[in-house]
Amino acid sequence: MNRLIGMVVLIGAVVAGLIGLSAVFYLAAGGLAYVFAEYLGAPPSFGAAIANVVTLMLVVMMISGSLLTVAERKWSAMMQNRIGANRIKVLGSALGGIPFLAADALKMLTKESAPPRGRTRILYEMAPALAFAPVFALFAIIPLGPPVPLGSIIASAAGALGSAGVALQVASPDAGLLYIFAISSLAVYGTALAGWASNNKLALLGGVRASSQMISYEVSLGLSLVGTMLAFRTLRLEEMVVAQGAAVIGPVPALGILLQPVGFLIFFASAFAETKRAPFDLPEGESEIVGYFVEYSGMKFGLMFLAEFVEIVVLAAIITAVFLGGWHPLVVSTEWLRQTVTPLWFGAICGGAFLAKMIVLMWLQLTIRWLLPRFRFDQIQKLCWKILLPAAIANVFVTAGALLIDPSMQLLAWIGVATIVAVVAITAAVGRAPAPGEHGAAHVVAGH
Amino acid sequence: MPYPIENRPADLRERMYFPEIIRGIGVLTKHFLRNLFFARDKNPDILERRRGEFGVSDNATLQYPEERAPYPPGYRGLHRLVPREDGKPRCVACYMCATACPAQCIYIEAGEYPDDPIEKYPVKFVIDELRCVVCGFCVEACPKDAIRMDSGEHTPPSYERGAQIWDEKRLLRGPSVSYQYDPWLRRGSPSIPADKLEEMRARAKPFPTVATDEYAQTPGFSVRALAQEAKDRAERPK
Repeated sequence: MNRLIGMVVLIGAVVAGLIGLSAVFYLAAGGLAYVFAEYLGAPPSFGAAIANVVTLMLVVMMISGSLLTVAERKWSAMMQNRIGANRIKVLGSALGGIPFLAADALKMLTKESAPPRGRTRILYEMAPALAFAPVFALFAIIPLGPPVPLGSIIASAAGALGSAGVALQVASPDAGLLYIFAISSLAVYGTALAGWASNNKLALLGGVRASSQMISYEVSLGLSLVGTMLAFRTLRLEEMVVAQGAAVIGPVPALGILLQPVGFLIFFASAFAETKRAPFDLPEGESEIVGYFVEYSGMKFGLMFLAEFVEIVVLAAIITAVFLGGWHPLVVSTEWLRQTVTPLWFGAICGGAFLAKMIVLMWLQLTIRWLLPRFRFDQIQKLCWKILLPAAIANVFVTAGALLIDPSMQLLAWIGVATIVAVVAITAAVGRAPAPGEHGAAHVVAGH
Repeated sequence: MPYPIENRPADLRERMYFPEIIRGIGVLTKHFLRNLFFARDKNPDILERRRGEFGVSDNATLQYPEERAPYPPGYRGLHRLVPREDGKPRCVACYMCATACPAQCIYIEAGEYPDDPIEKYPVKFVIDELRCVVCGFCVEACPKDAIRMDSGEHTPPSYERGAQIWDEKRLLRGPSVSYQYDPWLRRGSPSIPADKLEEMRARAKPFPTVATDEYAQTPGFSVRALAQEAKDRAERPK
């Protein structure tokens, strides 16, 4: 019972901490924007962007990415009725395994680097960076919080700069989602080159598997988001998030997952394949080939390892923004919140909501990773080309047709509700219907 | 617990795959939440621990160095030479154990008490624990219940091989045992003072009929009691 109380308190503290963290981010962005505008004569958005690079990309992404290495151990332990990493104790307490982070970092940094003979030197050294950099850059367009007027953060900036807003977003290019597709498809170079450059047959196999898998899933990844682009009539993530706050059926907001449940499932599966984690971990395949990073040791391996976890963070952020209503808190009305609290705290609570949704999605990804065994390679390709891709194309046509008939998205929302109800009903149906003469179909079953 | 799996073709819902994944997520979530919010039962009586009920986590882990499972009755641990109550070994240097030992790890040199014309005792009784195969034949062979493997300990590790060769000084330990038929109790022995002899006679036990009877085990470690406990536990209503 002590643990129950402790956990409830801890979860409350985490939520409060996320809100506080967002407030600090807003203050940092507002402060730097003010400094840039007042003392350097530069546009305030420059300062905000620089502050956001530091706070969002270095603090949020890197810290949550590295915390995930610990979380994977502890959460998987809880799912499998184990205790998990707890042998490093600080003052007699295991602290939920977090000290393992320091131990891991120390180990990675002090390990001997053992480069293989016959490697292609430049590519071998570059590959970890090539694997990590695109993933890192993806986070730049994630709108973590709503724009908040600068004047409400820095009181003295209320004069000339008052109309300028600060948002927790590093960049907002017009291309939006296209930027995500473009950058995420670059990530395959890191893995493919790592496999090729390390002069090892198994690494090469891993690299080849990685490139074929990732290039296949690029297609359904792209097509799965076309439906949301059609529905929200924009490519920019921040506009998508704003659009998701509008009510569509009664008071229910037009969440992406409500309008595009099929698109959500396809995007989730495809993006999961892009992260190269189980059940799509064929490029790594640690029980058969050790994978494209078999010849990497020390921090070079650590960088590839970290890239995987950062990909989880980025994927969680994209899904939150596109499908789960972004920074809309959802438990309370966004409009009511905007009018009730000061703009800074409105932004902070919204940012906290975004981070909380991200944490839930990261947990969901780890759950799936520990739920499913690795697919066979033909199963992976079949899943992509025969199931996800046709479903994505059908989804595009259905979405476009529904929007053509009813531009107010209501019809689309009802279609989405019907889909969700159908999925839930099929999932809840436990009993097996008798299937006489189905033995011949058994080999078809293994397909997907 | 093994359970039969019906080998059958997947039905339509299973072939759709996604619903089954969602159900799987549900199962993992249930375990995750239960283990997140509830602590595991830390009952020191490990066999009594609850798990899987409401309010307790599903965790079955035994935190090994801190928590240890009891050894089963009959566990063959490190040998010991059973002492008499005056501190001398019960062993009469009959060489039965050394003869029975398949690993030939027991070395005995017999000697005689200077004041006792009948009885022998081991001047040297050495067991090479590195050669021992822990078969327990020596215990079975002993006619005097003088060597036992009831210490419940592993052979402690050491840095030198020499430290694994246990002589009579290290082997002679543990609770002492006396039986009513012991010759030194029945006819007396010059090496035992008269009042001590009376005390030993008073505390002597009848010889056990079954080798695993509680008399033949370390005090407090009774096979019958353990069996009774297990039976009670199984019969207790859940």
